[in-house]
Amino acid sequence: MSHTMSAPKNIPAEIERFDLIFRIQHVLMFTTFLVLSFTGWGLKYAHVEVSSWWIRIWGGAETAGIIHRVAGVTMLLDFIFHVGYLIYLTAQGKLKFRKETTLIPLPKDIVDVVQNFMYFLGFTRKKPRFAKFSYAQKFDYWAVFWGMFIIGFSGFALAFPILVSGLFPESTSGWIWQLLGIMHSDEALLAIVFILFWHFYNEHLKPEIFPMSWVWITGKISTAELKHRHPLEYDLHFGGKQEEKEV
Amino acid sequence: MKKNRRLATALTAFALIALPGISGSGTAHADATSCLLCHNAMSGKATTASGAEIELRINTQVFQASAHGSMACTECHQAFTENPHAAPDLAVSDDLKKLSSIIGKKAKVDPVAYSACSTCHSDVYQSVMGSVHGRNIAEKGAADGALCLDCHGGPHGIVKSSDENSPVHRKHVVATCANCHADEKLAAKYGHDTNIMESYNESFHGKKYTLGHTKAPTCVNCHGYHDIKSKSDPASPVFGTVNKTTTCGNCHKGANATFVGAITHKPAGPIPHYAEKGLIILTMGTIAFTIAHVLLEAYSDIRDVVFRRKEEEEETKNESYNECA
Repeated sequence: MSHTMSAPKNIPAEIERFDLIFRIQHVLMFTTFLVLSFTGWGLKYAHVEVSSWWIRIWGGAETAGIIHRVAGVTMLLDFIFHVGYLIYLTAQGKLKFRKETTLIPLPKDIVDVVQNFMYFLGFTRKKPRFAKFSYAQKFDYWAVFWGMFIIGFSGFALAFPILVSGLFPESTSGWIWQLLGIMHSDEALLAIVFILFWHFYNEHLKPEIFPMSWVWITGKISTAELKHRHPLEYDLHFGGKQEEKEV
Repeated sequence: MKKNRRLATALTAFALIALPGISGSGTAHADATSCLLCHNAMSGKATTASGAEIELRINTQVFQASAHGSMACTECHQAFTENPHAAPDLAVSDDLKKLSSIIGKKAKVDPVAYSACSTCHSDVYQSVMGSVHGRNIAEKGAADGALCLDCHGGPHGIVKSSDENSPVHRKHVVATCANCHADEKLAAKYGHDTNIMESYNESFHGKKYTLGHTKAPTCVNCHGYHDIKSKSDPASPVFGTVNKTTTCGNCHKGANATFVGAITHKPAGPIPHYAEKGLIILTMGTIAFTIAHVLLEAYSDIRDVVFRRKEEEEETKNESYNECA
């Protein structure tokens, strides 16, 4: 291709991956997540002796309860703001659907999962070529979305039971609260374990990233890293050199 | 028995020698002082004619520190029908005689003394006798039913409920109820649910209580205490939706019929049960996938770094060579 030769000149050292507003949303999300995990853990395992000590560190059961509620509401507001911001960007035409940049799961993601496992096991030497968001990152993102509906809604209901009780008919009285409690507590445990393994490995422990991907502070990704980790997005911005090479 | 008596005699002699010390430090009524002279020093147990086993020792310090420490022994122990002493032979009122015969099976040691609580605490005693606990004793003659001492401890060491050491203080009251309500034999006899304590401990109320929340309700905040009623009694604060709405509303302003189902001792119904099963499968599945993926990826990352770095370097060289070309 003709532009392959001239491409290197136009390629910047780094490009913006997350703007400042997304970065602030992320910081709010993970700080509230940590606070909620720490305070909620003590309540979930209240019968374990060390929990009483742990909750005292957070200022006792009353204070820990208030901290948990404040953090929970902040997280929900952060989530609502995030969705609103996405709608705003779309309306402004700044966010367009492209298979190379979207967070929406696509059939290719399943192919990527299979190919990645084959790569892990040594059946193929070709790594899947990821778009702006690999399936692992999409999984990470949608897990939070799922959590917001399941844990966020049930948490809101448990924090403001009188307010929320108006939403449910009286006939649900016998099981709705137990269901909400189970949803909140079980899914919170899932979220914590998921973040601990998935997010920590992919964004912290991975040898090429350790100790962490700095994109959460700088918002920038180097084009070298982009080419290595998100080749499809790289191709979109800087031409189809990879395709040529493969031929 | 014989051995105990002999020991008691020996200790009595010792107590008499130690008399000045005790009477000097004591603030008890003269009557109590003279009884305690022996009973503080005695040890061992004796069996009364009614078949009750009693501790011979009354700890003077514990008694004097108790809420009744300034009272004379005979204010409660107004009469003995069967004991080694000459009966105090005080005029026992008809009311006390009647009450002591009602609770006779329960209060084997000294029914008059057990009834004597009513002399000062008449209102409380009356509401207890109308409660599910009291009626169990009065109407069914149950010897294992709860009465004053089963909750307040004692009998010679009863402290105020506001005292942290009281078994009915907020700190201990749940465990005190559990003495009977977590007992499987009693549960079987009286048809109690066996999961009462478990379901409380797992509820938000119970968890907060365990963690030291100062306002988390204990058993008595919802069920009442002296006039406690069976949950199937329409007078119980937890009977039916209407009563529950009022009871929950004491703390949760605006409590409605949907809300009051939030706290219950009932085991989870089918919906929460299967929802939990489903969520556990989802959680386990996700965790299994996540861990397998992370471990395999870590393996391949390490493999690449250790065994394939050279190949990659060569590849990059070729690449840059191609680019230049």
